[in-house]
Amino acid sequence: MKTLLQTSLILGLAAAPASAADLTVLTAGDQNMVDYVNDYLAPIFEKENPGTTVRVVGTGPGDAGSQKIVERFDAQAKANVDKWDADVAVVHEKFAGPLVKNGYLESYRSKIPSGEMVTSEKAKMALGANVDGYVMPMFSSQTAIAYNPALIPNPPKSYEELVTWAKENPKQFGYNGIKGGASGVSFVMGWIYAFGDGDANKLMNGPFEEAETKKWDKAFASLKDFTTNATLTPGNAGTLDMLSRGEIAMGPVWVDMFYSWQADGKLPPEMKLVLPAPGMPGQPMHYVIPAKSPNTELAEKFVALATSPKIQADGIVKRFNWYPGIDAKYVQPELDKASWDKLFVDISPDDLASKAKPFPIAPYNSAILEAYEKNVAN
Amino acid sequence: MQKRLIAIALVLPALIMIVLFFIVPLFASVVGAFDVGGVLGLGNFTKSFELYSGDMIFTVVIVTVSTALIGLLSIAIGGYLTLGENPRAVAILRWLYRWPMFIPFIVVGQVMRTFLAKNGLMNNILVSLGLLTPLQTIGFLDWRGIVIAFVWKQTPFVTLLVAGAMASLDRSTIEAARNLGASRLRILIEIVLPQIATTLMVGLILSFVTMMSVLSVPLMINAQSPTMLTADIAFRINAHGDYGVANALGLISLILTAGAALIYLRHSVKERS
Amino acid sequence: MARVDLWWLPRALILGLLAFIIFGPLTNLVLWTVAEKWYFPHMLPLEYGFSFWQRVFAPRGNAMGSLLTSITIAILTVIASLALAIPAGYALSRLKLPFRGLILLAFLIPQAFPNLPVYVNIARFFYQIGLNGTIAGVVMVHVTHGLVYAVWIATAAFSAVDTDLEEAARSIGAGPFRAFRDVTLPLAAPGLMASAIFVFLESLDEFTGTYFVGAPDVTTLPLLLYTAGSGGNYQIASITALLLLVPSIGFMLVVERFLRADVLSKVGH
Repeated sequence: MKTLLQTSLILGLAAAPASAADLTVLTAGDQNMVDYVNDYLAPIFEKENPGTTVRVVGTGPGDAGSQKIVERFDAQAKANVDKWDADVAVVHEKFAGPLVKNGYLESYRSKIPSGEMVTSEKAKMALGANVDGYVMPMFSSQTAIAYNPALIPNPPKSYEELVTWAKENPKQFGYNGIKGGASGVSFVMGWIYAFGDGDANKLMNGPFEEAETKKWDKAFASLKDFTTNATLTPGNAGTLDMLSRGEIAMGPVWVDMFYSWQADGKLPPEMKLVLPAPGMPGQPMHYVIPAKSPNTELAEKFVALATSPKIQADGIVKRFNWYPGIDAKYVQPELDKASWDKLFVDISPDDLASKAKPFPIAPYNSAILEAYEKNVAN
Repeated sequence: MQKRLIAIALVLPALIMIVLFFIVPLFASVVGAFDVGGVLGLGNFTKSFELYSGDMIFTVVIVTVSTALIGLLSIAIGGYLTLGENPRAVAILRWLYRWPMFIPFIVVGQVMRTFLAKNGLMNNILVSLGLLTPLQTIGFLDWRGIVIAFVWKQTPFVTLLVAGAMASLDRSTIEAARNLGASRLRILIEIVLPQIATTLMVGLILSFVTMMSVLSVPLMINAQSPTMLTADIAFRINAHGDYGVANALGLISLILTAGAALIYLRHSVKERS
Repeated sequence: MARVDLWWLPRALILGLLAFIIFGPLTNLVLWTVAEKWYFPHMLPLEYGFSFWQRVFAPRGNAMGSLLTSITIAILTVIASLALAIPAGYALSRLKLPFRGLILLAFLIPQAFPNLPVYVNIARFFYQIGLNGTIAGVVMVHVTHGLVYAVWIATAAFSAVDTDLEEAARSIGAGPFRAFRDVTLPLAAPGLMASAIFVFLESLDEFTGTYFVGAPDVTTLPLLLYTAGSGGNYQIASITALLLLVPSIGFMLVVERFLRADVLSKVGH
């Protein structure tokens, strides 16, 4: 035991903590998020700030990835660590509220130039929690229905049409329930917006009322019926996977994941997206800076760069086909028309304006998930 | 008395390691399982049973079926490695069986998903060989997929232990039985198996425990409900931030596993006395 | 000779089937490492290439550095686990111990309690004692998970060794330590070596603990594997898995060679 402790001490010293000019970025999301920072953002930042090195750690896709960032901060807060080991984190919208509430974050939006270019309501309220000032949206992600136009020349334009279509084509529609990731969750939320007896706007904007949660029984009964005609897929990636092998013809996906699967050659290039009425939820990924980051100033510079119109145009829109995080009117002038139009090949700006919904506020969100578990999954 | 002290001294370093670096941190989780909104209570357990009792049964059945299949296959492979008479076949088998062991679970999940699916590589091969028509293909991405993935990955693990134990057996009894004309199957069941039973059981219990705690395989292969408890735990934490129910489910999972381990412990106590 | 001819067919059939079951999924893995385009209705990839290898080995990705860290951690984990497990296993199998069953169960707990809710607490504890971000910290987390294999298998291995042999050595004047080293340990070696392989693999494939205790200062290859694998990034996950195969198989071959020479030398004496 003694020697063990000794070796551990030596090794502990060997892996010395990072030097002051190291900027550590934690990012939830897919491998392409890590690649985005590593291949694109970091080299530009390092060139502009000589002597700094950017390190990026991917924490995994989906809510699980963001949750791991929250847990890391939890652990450091409870251990009373003075200087945390992260400078910038990229988290899903849902996790911004709890992070702010626990007092982990720095309010920095007013300190950086691009702060004023953010106009979306989502940068102020995240699922009913006030996060104004603490977050900068990196990009907006949206769920939509992916389909193969070779098999389905006229895709359903609304949830009603989708129900009819799924009845006529049993097992050809696939979604991933609610446990395998947010694309399935999003489909379910859209279902409640479409078929719930309550007021969808109240679900999205609050306030939370217990009575509202009793108005979904009919919607869940029809969803259960619908699900018997559908295929359940394993996870966000699972839906894309089954689309890729032609086992399902249609399914809800994250638009950004859809494009990166196409870019990686795992989906036929002719596949398309449609956003059915009344709409499906989407969410931004947010840049946040921990209040106890050892390099707050550098971190602010990093986010300022990442949310500047040029980077948003060149990195977010052109490279990845993601919807920009800051107001589009600042981004569009930086881009040629072709790149800009490519963003709206499948889903028009009008569609996006009317059918891209937020997720329900947190208490409704949990209530819907639990009601799904009780009513549909059983 | 002094002997007993020595024994304790030998176990202590390993025990301290586990207690300090796992059981102490675990303790906060166990307490959390009984914490319902700041008061001690069994609310998290009631909720666990209400929502996930089906998944508990599913988990135990899946893992038990997998363990049984792993046991049978590892005895068969280990037995052939020990008693097989064709040196070439034995050599091929020895070279063959270990590969899946080296593939991490998360990759096993991915590989099986793209292999066992309805239009996966397996069916594609069978169709192009003319063994199946495209209309006859079925996918295995449900409970069967989980069992296949588990058996595929864990059989080499148990076989390695079993074959090792069989190889170090005293050959003379086996040779004697062979000379008396006993069949190899009979030798395997009546002479070899009883002698390696402890090793086999240890291997199977370790497999059982490992499978109970794997998250990636059920997450990547089985989308249907019921699913395995690990997937529920991840869901409670990631979707709800609900550590209470997650910890309660963890505790239930621990009790299920301890139940399996107790079967072995009682057997080994009998053996020692 | 006629008998051999009769048995040739079923033996080949069974071995062929087994090869299909084992190598079918593995072929899938290898194909994905070089697939540039692969989707329905094509049975095999449409385009092959190495562009994903370039991505894995991109200088900023530091794949080779992570692989080396992974191997270092795995080897240290094996050494520490065996050093703790051999005495413990011997005591658990040979000596009278109070609460023996309970102790064995205790080693099972790190595997048996799903770790997800526990890692926050472990990370917190490691931050408090300053082990976060160190290789030693990661090794300790891996050891707690590896010990279940090491201790349980060591216990079984020592139980399987006939006590008479050790007593015989004692009766001709060997001390207890010498009797253990020269008689019991070599006979239990195959089991112990098997457990070393399992501990090595367990450590080499672990990612959640490494993330909480090691990252961002200590990064291992499975961290990359996890992000890529759970996001359905088949190419990168497959390439990473293939890279991890090299040390795994290498370690097993080394262990086997060492084992064979050792056991044979004992037989020769």
